[in-house]
Amino acid sequence: MQRDQKVIAAALDQVTELLSVGEDTATNTSIRFPDNLREATRIAVDVLGLAPTTTALATTALRNTLEAAAAEVALELHYAANPDVRPTLGDLAVAAAEIDGHDLAESAEILHRAAAEIVQTRPDATGDDVLLWAEAQQRAGAA
Amino acid sequence: MSRLVLLDNEAVRALSSARHPKHRKVISHLQVITTRRKRSRSTTVGVPTSVRVEAGWDRRNQAWALANRLGITDMALDQTVADVAAEIRNGLGTHISVADAHLGAVAQGVDSEVTVITNDPEDITAAAGSARATIVRI
Repeated sequence: MQRDQKVIAAALDQVTELLSVGEDTATNTSIRFPDNLREATRIAVDVLGLAPTTTALATTALRNTLEAAAAEVALELHYAANPDVRPTLGDLAVAAAEIDGHDLAESAEILHRAAAEIVQTRPDATGDDVLLWAEAQQRAGAA
Repeated sequence: MSRLVLLDNEAVRALSSARHPKHRKVISHLQVITTRRKRSRSTTVGVPTSVRVEAGWDRRNQAWALANRLGITDMALDQTVADVAAEIRNGLGTHISVADAHLGAVAQGVDSEVTVITNDPEDITAAAGSARATIVRI
Protein backbone atom coordinates (compact mmCIF):
# COMPACT_ATOMS: atom_id res chain seq x y z
CA MET A 1 0.00 0.00 0.00
CA GLN A 2 1.37 3.40 -0.92
CA ARG A 3 1.93 6.00 1.77
CA ASP A 4 -1.05 8.13 0.67
CA GLN A 5 -3.35 5.15 0.88
CA LYS A 6 -2.10 4.40 4.37
CA VAL A 7 -2.86 7.95 5.42
CA ILE A 8 -6.34 7.74 3.88
CA ALA A 9 -6.99 4.37 5.54
CA ALA A 10 -5.94 5.73 8.93
CA ALA A 11 -8.18 8.78 8.49
CA LEU A 12 -11.08 6.54 7.49
CA ASP A 13 -10.64 4.46 10.63
CA GLN A 14 -10.60 7.63 12.73
CA VAL A 15 -13.79 8.90 11.10
CA THR A 16 -15.45 5.49 11.50
CA GLU A 17 -14.49 5.32 15.17
CA LEU A 18 -15.74 8.84 15.84
CA LEU A 19 -19.05 8.18 14.10
CA SER A 20 -19.59 4.97 16.04
CA VAL A 21 -19.45 6.47 19.53
CA GLY A 22 -22.39 8.16 21.23
CA GLU A 23 -23.20 11.84 20.94
CA ASP A 24 -23.34 12.43 24.69
CA THR A 25 -20.99 15.38 24.63
CA ALA A 26 -21.31 18.46 22.45
CA THR A 27 -19.43 21.68 21.93
CA ASN A 28 -20.73 25.01 20.72
CA THR A 29 -19.04 25.87 17.48
CA SER A 30 -19.16 28.81 15.14
CA ILE A 31 -20.08 27.88 11.60
CA ARG A 32 -20.98 30.60 9.12
CA PHE A 33 -24.36 29.47 7.76
CA PRO A 34 -25.70 31.33 4.75
CA ASP A 35 -28.76 33.33 5.87
CA ASN A 36 -31.11 31.64 3.42
CA LEU A 37 -30.06 28.17 4.59
CA ARG A 38 -30.48 29.11 8.23
CA GLU A 39 -33.98 30.48 7.61
CA ALA A 40 -34.97 27.45 5.53
CA THR A 41 -33.75 25.20 8.35
CA ARG A 42 -35.78 27.17 10.92
CA ILE A 43 -38.95 26.81 8.85
CA ALA A 44 -38.26 23.12 8.23
CA VAL A 45 -38.05 22.52 11.97
CA ASP A 46 -40.66 24.94 13.33
CA VAL A 47 -43.35 24.56 10.69
CA LEU A 48 -42.70 21.36 8.77
CA GLY A 49 -41.47 19.38 11.79
CA LEU A 50 -38.69 17.66 9.85
CA ALA A 51 -36.58 17.40 13.01
CA PRO A 52 -37.02 18.28 16.68
CA THR A 53 -34.37 21.02 16.54
CA THR A 54 -32.16 22.77 14.02
CA THR A 55 -29.18 21.13 15.70
CA ALA A 56 -30.72 17.69 15.20
CA LEU A 57 -31.44 18.44 11.56
CA ALA A 58 -27.91 19.72 10.93
CA THR A 59 -26.12 16.92 12.79
CA THR A 60 -28.21 14.20 11.12
CA ALA A 61 -27.45 15.65 7.70
CA LEU A 62 -23.76 15.94 8.54
CA ARG A 63 -23.60 12.39 9.89
CA ASN A 64 -25.31 10.97 6.80
CA THR A 65 -22.96 12.89 4.53
CA LEU A 66 -19.87 11.76 6.42
CA GLU A 67 -20.96 8.12 6.56
CA ALA A 68 -21.74 8.00 2.85
CA ALA A 69 -18.52 9.79 1.90
CA ALA A 70 -16.41 7.56 4.15
CA ALA A 71 -18.01 4.44 2.68
CA GLU A 72 -17.34 5.69 -0.84
CA VAL A 73 -13.68 6.35 -0.05
CA ALA A 74 -13.41 2.95 1.66
CA LEU A 75 -14.77 1.19 -1.42
CA GLU A 76 -12.43 3.10 -3.75
CA LEU A 77 -9.50 2.16 -1.52
CA HIS A 78 -10.63 -1.45 -1.65
CA TYR A 79 -10.91 -1.38 -5.44
CA ALA A 80 -7.45 0.14 -5.72
CA ALA A 81 -6.01 -2.77 -3.74
CA ASN A 82 -8.27 -5.37 -5.42
CA PRO A 83 -9.11 -4.24 -8.96
CA ASP A 84 -10.85 -7.52 -9.80
CA VAL A 85 -13.64 -6.94 -7.27
CA ARG A 86 -14.81 -3.62 -8.72
CA PRO A 87 -18.37 -4.22 -9.96
CA THR A 88 -19.28 -3.36 -13.53
CA LEU A 89 -22.14 -0.95 -14.20
CA GLY A 90 -24.20 -3.96 -15.20
CA ASP A 91 -23.45 -5.65 -11.88
CA LEU A 92 -24.60 -2.50 -10.07
CA ALA A 93 -27.83 -2.36 -12.05
CA VAL A 94 -28.57 -5.98 -11.13
CA ALA A 95 -27.75 -5.27 -7.48
CA ALA A 96 -30.04 -2.20 -7.48
CA ALA A 97 -32.87 -4.29 -8.92
CA GLU A 98 -32.29 -7.05 -6.38
CA ILE A 99 -32.31 -4.68 -3.41
CA ASP A 100 -35.64 -3.22 -4.53
CA GLY A 101 -37.17 -6.56 -5.47
CA HIS A 102 -37.63 -5.19 -8.98
CA ASP A 103 -38.90 -7.57 -11.69
CA LEU A 104 -35.80 -6.85 -13.80
CA ALA A 105 -33.64 -8.48 -11.13
CA GLU A 106 -34.51 -11.73 -12.91
CA SER A 107 -33.31 -10.28 -16.23
CA ALA A 108 -29.61 -9.70 -15.66
CA GLU A 109 -28.87 -9.93 -19.37
CA ILE A 110 -31.22 -7.01 -20.13
CA LEU A 111 -29.60 -4.90 -17.42
CA HIS A 112 -26.06 -5.69 -18.56
CA ARG A 113 -27.04 -4.79 -22.12
CA ALA A 114 -28.66 -1.56 -20.95
CA ALA A 115 -25.52 -0.69 -18.97
CA ALA A 116 -23.34 -1.24 -22.02
CA GLU A 117 -25.56 1.12 -24.04
CA ILE A 118 -26.05 3.88 -21.49
CA VAL A 119 -22.38 4.12 -20.50
CA GLN A 120 -21.52 5.28 -24.01
CA THR A 121 -23.32 8.58 -23.46
CA ARG A 122 -23.40 8.69 -19.63
CA PRO A 123 -20.07 7.40 -18.32
CA ASP A 124 -21.01 8.52 -14.80
CA ALA A 125 -24.30 6.58 -14.77
CA THR A 126 -25.17 4.62 -11.65
CA GLY A 127 -26.79 1.24 -11.28
CA ASP A 128 -30.07 2.98 -10.44
CA ASP A 129 -29.80 5.09 -13.61
CA VAL A 130 -29.44 1.92 -15.68
CA LEU A 131 -32.35 0.24 -13.89
CA LEU A 132 -34.59 3.25 -14.49
CA TRP A 133 -33.60 3.43 -18.14
CA ALA A 134 -34.11 -0.30 -18.70
CA GLU A 135 -37.53 -0.11 -17.04
CA ALA A 136 -38.52 2.84 -19.24
CA GLN A 137 -37.33 0.97 -22.34
CA GLN A 138 -39.32 -2.07 -21.31
CA ARG A 139 -42.50 -0.04 -20.77
CA ALA A 140 -42.03 1.83 -24.03
CA GLY A 141 -41.63 -1.49 -25.81
CA ALA A 142 -44.77 -2.84 -24.21
CA ALA A 143 -46.86 0.24 -25.08
CA MET B 1 -39.97 5.15 1.95
CA SER B 2 -36.75 4.26 3.72
CA ARG B 3 -35.15 0.86 3.31
CA LEU B 4 -33.15 -1.27 5.72
CA VAL B 5 -30.77 -3.77 4.15
CA LEU B 6 -29.72 -6.60 6.47
CA LEU B 7 -26.75 -8.91 6.05
CA ASP B 8 -26.78 -12.54 7.14
CA ASN B 9 -23.80 -14.64 8.19
CA GLU B 10 -22.76 -15.63 4.67
CA ALA B 11 -23.03 -12.05 3.40
CA VAL B 12 -20.78 -10.86 6.22
CA ARG B 13 -18.27 -13.63 5.53
CA ALA B 14 -18.33 -12.77 1.83
CA LEU B 15 -17.67 -9.15 2.67
CA SER B 16 -14.72 -10.03 4.88
CA SER B 17 -12.44 -11.41 2.18
CA ALA B 18 -11.74 -10.30 -1.39
CA ARG B 19 -11.02 -13.97 -2.15
CA HIS B 20 -14.48 -15.13 -1.10
CA PRO B 21 -16.39 -16.29 -4.21
CA LYS B 22 -19.38 -14.08 -3.33
CA HIS B 23 -17.35 -11.01 -2.34
CA ARG B 24 -17.89 -9.08 -5.55
CA LYS B 25 -21.63 -9.69 -5.43
CA VAL B 26 -21.94 -8.38 -1.88
CA ILE B 27 -19.70 -5.44 -2.73
CA SER B 28 -22.04 -4.62 -5.64
CA HIS B 29 -24.94 -4.28 -3.23
CA LEU B 30 -22.97 -2.15 -0.81
CA GLN B 31 -21.79 0.07 -3.66
CA VAL B 32 -25.40 0.66 -4.73
CA ILE B 33 -26.39 1.49 -1.16
CA THR B 34 -23.45 3.86 -0.76
CA THR B 35 -24.34 5.68 -3.98
CA ARG B 36 -27.96 5.98 -2.83
CA ARG B 37 -26.85 7.40 0.50
CA LYS B 38 -24.68 9.94 -1.28
CA ARG B 39 -27.82 10.96 -3.17
CA SER B 40 -29.65 11.29 0.16
CA ARG B 41 -31.90 8.32 -0.43
CA SER B 42 -32.80 6.95 2.96
CA THR B 43 -31.09 3.56 3.00
CA THR B 44 -29.48 1.89 6.00
CA VAL B 45 -27.37 -1.25 6.16
CA GLY B 46 -27.59 -3.24 9.35
CA VAL B 47 -26.12 -6.38 10.84
CA PRO B 48 -27.79 -8.15 13.76
CA THR B 49 -25.19 -8.42 16.49
CA SER B 50 -25.67 -12.19 16.77
CA VAL B 51 -24.91 -12.48 13.05
CA ARG B 52 -21.73 -10.56 13.73
CA VAL B 53 -20.84 -13.03 16.49
CA GLU B 54 -21.55 -16.02 14.23
CA ALA B 55 -19.41 -14.58 11.43
CA GLY B 56 -16.60 -13.60 13.80
CA TRP B 57 -16.80 -9.89 13.01
CA ASP B 58 -14.82 -8.19 15.77
CA ARG B 59 -14.87 -4.47 15.10
CA ARG B 60 -11.59 -4.06 17.01
CA ASN B 61 -9.80 -6.38 14.58
CA GLN B 62 -8.08 -4.70 11.63
CA ALA B 63 -8.98 -7.71 9.48
CA TRP B 64 -12.52 -6.29 9.45
CA ALA B 65 -11.45 -2.79 8.42
CA LEU B 66 -13.46 -2.73 5.18
CA ALA B 67 -16.68 -3.84 6.87
CA ASN B 68 -16.09 -1.35 9.67
CA ARG B 69 -15.68 1.53 7.24
CA LEU B 70 -18.93 0.97 5.32
CA GLY B 71 -21.31 2.44 7.87
CA ILE B 72 -23.00 -0.86 8.72
CA THR B 73 -25.11 -0.41 11.85
CA ASP B 74 -25.24 -2.95 14.66
CA MET B 75 -28.80 -4.12 15.34
CA ALA B 76 -28.74 -5.06 19.00
CA LEU B 77 -30.37 -8.07 20.64
CA ASP B 78 -32.15 -6.18 23.39
CA GLN B 79 -34.99 -7.53 25.50
CA THR B 80 -37.77 -6.76 23.02
CA VAL B 81 -35.91 -8.15 20.03
CA ALA B 82 -34.81 -11.22 22.00
CA ASP B 83 -38.43 -11.98 22.90
CA VAL B 84 -39.51 -11.81 19.25
CA ALA B 85 -36.48 -13.89 18.17
CA ALA B 86 -37.34 -16.53 20.76
CA GLU B 87 -40.94 -16.54 19.55
CA ILE B 88 -39.74 -17.05 15.97
CA ARG B 89 -37.52 -19.96 17.00
CA ASN B 90 -40.24 -21.50 19.14
CA GLY B 91 -42.60 -21.33 16.21
CA LEU B 92 -40.32 -22.51 13.43
CA GLY B 93 -38.06 -24.91 15.27
CA THR B 94 -34.45 -24.96 16.37
CA HIS B 95 -33.15 -25.55 12.84
CA ILE B 96 -33.55 -21.76 12.59
CA SER B 97 -30.28 -20.43 13.98
CA VAL B 98 -30.22 -17.85 16.75
CA ALA B 99 -28.65 -15.41 14.30
CA ASP B 100 -31.38 -15.96 11.70
CA ALA B 101 -34.09 -15.61 14.35
CA HIS B 102 -32.49 -12.37 15.49
CA LEU B 103 -32.42 -11.16 11.89
CA GLY B 104 -36.09 -12.07 11.49
CA ALA B 105 -36.98 -10.20 14.67
CA VAL B 106 -35.15 -7.09 13.45
CA ALA B 107 -36.98 -7.30 10.11
CA GLN B 108 -40.33 -7.57 11.89
CA GLY B 109 -39.59 -4.64 14.18
CA VAL B 110 -38.95 -1.85 11.71
CA ASP B 111 -41.33 0.41 9.79
CA SER B 112 -39.12 0.66 6.73
CA GLU B 113 -38.97 -1.68 3.77
CA VAL B 114 -36.53 -4.52 4.38
CA THR B 115 -34.10 -6.34 2.12
CA VAL B 116 -32.01 -9.26 3.34
CA ILE B 117 -28.84 -10.40 1.59
CA THR B 118 -28.52 -14.10 2.36
CA ASN B 119 -27.54 -17.53 1.11
CA ASP B 120 -30.48 -19.09 2.92
CA PRO B 121 -33.66 -17.59 1.45
CA GLU B 122 -35.99 -20.25 2.85
CA ASP B 123 -35.05 -19.84 6.51
CA ILE B 124 -34.81 -16.07 6.26
CA THR B 125 -38.19 -15.77 4.55
CA ALA B 126 -39.71 -17.89 7.30
CA ALA B 127 -37.96 -15.94 10.06
CA ALA B 128 -38.95 -12.57 8.62
CA GLY B 129 -42.58 -13.72 8.59
CA SER B 130 -44.98 -10.81 8.35
CA ALA B 131 -42.20 -8.38 7.44
CA ARG B 132 -42.32 -9.80 3.89
CA ALA B 133 -38.72 -8.85 3.27
CA THR B 134 -37.18 -8.67 -0.17
CA ILE B 135 -34.70 -11.54 -0.28
CA VAL B 136 -31.48 -11.32 -2.26
CA ARG B 137 -29.85 -14.71 -2.67
CA ILE B 138 -26.07 -14.73 -2.88
